Amino acid sequence: MTGATIDHMVSVTVFIGAILLFISLFNQTIQTAIIYQRHRYLATKCSDLLDSMLLNPGEPIEWGKGNSTPTSFGLQDPEFTQYRLSPFSLMRLQSLTGTPFTYPRTGVTYSNLSMGFGNFLFVPYTTAINYSTASRLLGTNNTYGFQLSITPIVTVSIEETHAANPLTLTIKVAGAGFPLSNSEVSYCFLKVNEKGGQNNPSYASLFGTIYTDDEGLAVVSIQNVDTGTAYAFIAYAHISGLVGTGYHERVSGDKQYVLPLIDSFGDKRILLVHSYNVHDFGPPESSVFFNATFVLLTEDFTLREMPMENSTGKLGKVVYGQGTDKQWSNVTIPTYNPGILIVTYQSNNEYGVVLMPWGIGSMAFPISFGISPTEAEWVTTDARQVIVGGIAYQAKLALWSLLGSQVIS
Amino acid sequence: MMRTVEILLVVMIITSAFIVASLFAVLPSPRQVSPINLRRLALTTLQALDVDYDLSATMFKNATDDPAWGQLQIALSACLPPNIVYNLTVYEVQSGQAQLYKPIKSISNAESLGVGSDSSSYLVASSNVTFSAVPEKIGEHGGGGTLYILNCSDANGWWITGYTAQKLAEDLYNILSPYFQNTVMLQSTAQLGTILNGTSIRGETLQNAVVINTYGEAVPIPREYCQGYERQSEGYYSGVAYPYSKFCYTLGQRTRQYNWTWGSIVGWPLYYVSNMATLNDSQNSWGIYGMVKVESPGLRAFLQGLDNQPYSYGNSQTGSPGIVYLSTSAQYYCNYYGIYPSPYQTSTRALPSSILSTYHLTVSTYIFNQVDTWIPGAVYRNTVSGGLLALGLTRTPDIRLTALGLLCDYKPRIYRSEYSAAGTSRLVVLQLGQVGGV
Repeated sequence: MTGATIDHMVSVTVFIGAILLFISLFNQTIQTAIIYQRHRYLATKCSDLLDSMLLNPGEPIEWGKGNSTPTSFGLQDPEFTQYRLSPFSLMRLQSLTGTPFTYPRTGVTYSNLSMGFGNFLFVPYTTAINYSTASRLLGTNNTYGFQLSITPIVTVSIEETHAANPLTLTIKVAGAGFPLSNSEVSYCFLKVNEKGGQNNPSYASLFGTIYTDDEGLAVVSIQNVDTGTAYAFIAYAHISGLVGTGYHERVSGDKQYVLPLIDSFGDKRILLVHSYNVHDFGPPESSVFFNATFVLLTEDFTLREMPMENSTGKLGKVVYGQGTDKQWSNVTIPTYNPGILIVTYQSNNEYGVVLMPWGIGSMAFPISFGISPTEAEWVTTDARQVIVGGIAYQAKLALWSLLGSQVIS
Repeated sequence: MMRTVEILLVVMIITSAFIVASLFAVLPSPRQVSPINLRRLALTTLQALDVDYDLSATMFKNATDDPAWGQLQIALSACLPPNIVYNLTVYEVQSGQAQLYKPIKSISNAESLGVGSDSSSYLVASSNVTFSAVPEKIGEHGGGGTLYILNCSDANGWWITGYTAQKLAEDLYNILSPYFQNTVMLQSTAQLGTILNGTSIRGETLQNAVVINTYGEAVPIPREYCQGYERQSEGYYSGVAYPYSKFCYTLGQRTRQYNWTWGSIVGWPLYYVSNMATLNDSQNSWGIYGMVKVESPGLRAFLQGLDNQPYSYGNSQTGSPGIVYLSTSAQYYCNYYGIYPSPYQTSTRALPSSILSTYHLTVSTYIFNQVDTWIPGAVYRNTVSGGLLALGLTRTPDIRLTALGLLCDYKPRIYRSEYSAAGTSRLVVLQLGQVGGV
C-alpha cells in the first residue's frame, strides 16, 4: 500500500513537472514566433513609411521654397513624379548630426548641415522642420521612431597634388567602393584676384570638361595659380545617368571670413556675417569685404555662372564690432534653380572663398534626420535610390518601435 | 512503480512531440524577418539610371561592342550597396510572334544571386517611337526657314532674372526648332557679326530668317562694331549720350535688308548692348559688367533702320498698361501648338501704336490685346521688308510667349503622326540578390 502511494506521488510530481516544463518550452517558441512576426510587420511599415515620405511632396507642395510649416510631410519634388526629391525640402530638415549654433547678434539658432570649413549650410531653427513635427505629420509620434539618411551615391573627392604654379588637382570619382572610370567631369575653377586695401575682391572663373581614367582619376592643371592664391574648385561627374559632385577650396585667411546663414527661403535671402561674431576668436578684428556670385548646373551637365546685379547685395562688407557699420549683409539669390552661392572675401590682405549650396543636391550634401535608435530593441531598415536636383542619392530609413514589441496596430 | 513508468512514457511522448514540433516550426533568419525591399531598390535603381534617358539610350545600342554597356555596368556597380549583387537582362518586345520577349543581352556581377533575390522590370522606348506630330517646316515652300537664336557665350543678359540667356535659348530651341528648316544657335558675338555681314554660318538661308534675342533688354554686339574697331561707324556714334544706339540702327537696317523678323523676348527692346570681352570695363549701372546702356534711343534707332530712314538720335517711348490678356488668336493657337503660358501677364514696356504710322508698320499678329494706345505684345511688319516681334512685358520672361507669338504669325500646320511599336520597346529586368551576413 505504501509502495503504491509513493508510486502515485512520484508519478504525479513528475507529470506536473513535465507538463509545466513543456508548457514553458512551447510558450517560449510561440513567443519567439510572435516577436518575429511583429518584426516582420515593422519591416513592412518601414518600406511603406519610406515610400510615403519619398512619393508625396507634402502640403503645400512647394513648402520647401517657403518659410511656413507644412501641414503634410513629404519630400518629393512637386515638379516631377517617382523618386525625385525636392532639394529645398531637404534643406529644411533639421540635421541630426551637425552641432547647432546661435548667432549672438540676432539670437537665432541655426541647424548646421555644413561639411567642414568653407562648405557651409546653416538653416534657422525657426524655419527648419524638426523631428517631432515630421513625426506628428506622418502619424508615427509615440509609436515609432525613425532616422532618415540621404547620402550621395557618387563621391567626387578633389586633392591638391601640386600647389605651386601650375596648380594640379586630382579628382577621384567613385561609387559604393567602385571607381567610376571614363566618367565625364565638368568643373568650375574660381580664382580670387588680390586687390588689397579696402576693396571687394574680384574673381576670375574658368570652366572645362575632362574624363576619368580606368581608376576613376582625372587630373586638372591650371596655370597662373601660385601657392598663396585662394580659389574654389567645383566638379560634377557624370556617367550613364549617375551624377555626383565634389568641391575643394584653398584660402589664405581662415579666421576672418564670411559665414552665409539662410535667412528666408521664401525671399531667397542669405545673411552674410563676420566669422568673429560667431566663433569669437578673440579681440575685434577688421572688416571682411566680399563679392558673391552664383553658379548652376545646366541640363547638359556643365556649370554656368548666373550674373548677379548690385541690388542683390553681391558686393559689401561685414564688421565684427557694434558700431554704426552693418554687422551683416543680405544677398538675394536670383532663382530657385539649384546652384552654389560662391562668396569670395578679403580682410587684411588675406583672401578666401566659401561655398553654400542652394538646393542640397548642388553640393551633394548628405543629411541625417530623425532621432538615434540607441535604445531600440529591433531596428529595421529599407533603402531607395533617389534623385535630388539631378544628383544621385540613396535614401535609407531606419525604423523601430517605441512601444517594445507591443506595436501591432 | 507502474504509474511512474507510465508517466515516464508520457514524458517521452511529449518530448518527442516537442522535438517534432520544433523541427517543423523553423524560425526565419533575421534577413527574412526584416528584409531590404530588393524589388523597390531595383526599380528605383533603374529609374535613377534613366533620369536623363541614358538607360533608354543604352538599351538600343549595339549589344556586342558599344562602350555604353560598359558604362552602364560601372554605374550599376557604383550605385548599389557592396552586399548587393545584380543581374540585368534586356529583352526585345516582339509583336505578332510566338515568343513575346526575346533576350538581347544580360550583364551581371556575380555567378549566382544568393539564396534570395527579387527583381523589377522597366519598359523603355526608343527615342524615335513616341507619338510625334510632324509639323510643316516654315520656309519649306520656299523663302527662308532659318531660325537664329542668340546663345552668345561672351555676352550678358538683362531683365531675364532667374534665367541665363543660354537656358532660354535651349528652351526656345526645343520648342521652335521642329517648325524651322534650319535652326542655328549663334554661340558667340562673332557669329552674330558673321550673319550681320551677310555670310551664313553653315550654308543656311539668310534671307527671311527669324532672329531671336534671348538676352532680354540687352543685345550682344560683335567686337568689330565697338568703339575703336573696324566697323565702329556702324555701331558707335560719338557725341551723343548713348553712342551705341547706332548699332541698333544697323540691326534695323540688316533686318530690312534680309527681311528678318527680329524677336525681343521681354522688356524695352535694345536697351543695352553687351560684349563681355570688348566692353569688360563697363557696367550697365546695375553691376552687370560687359554691358553698356543704350537707353530708349536704341529702339528708335532700330525702327529707323527698319524703315530705311536716316539715323537721327532721339528717344523712344514705352508705356505701362499693367495686366494684359492674350488675344483671341493667340489663345486659339495655344491649343493648336500645345503651348500654355498664363493668359494674362503684366506689361510695363508696351510700344505705342504711334510707331505704326511713323515707321510704316502693320501689326501682322497681336499676341496680347491692345490697351488704349499701347501694344503690349505683337509682331510688326514693315510695309517694304523686315519685322519686329516685341513683348513689352515685365521680367521675368516666359519664353513660351515668344514661341507662341512666332507660331501665331507663321502658322505652320501640324500633320498627323504615325506610331509603330514594332521593335521599338525593350524590357529591362534588374534582379538583385543579397550576399553576406544572415
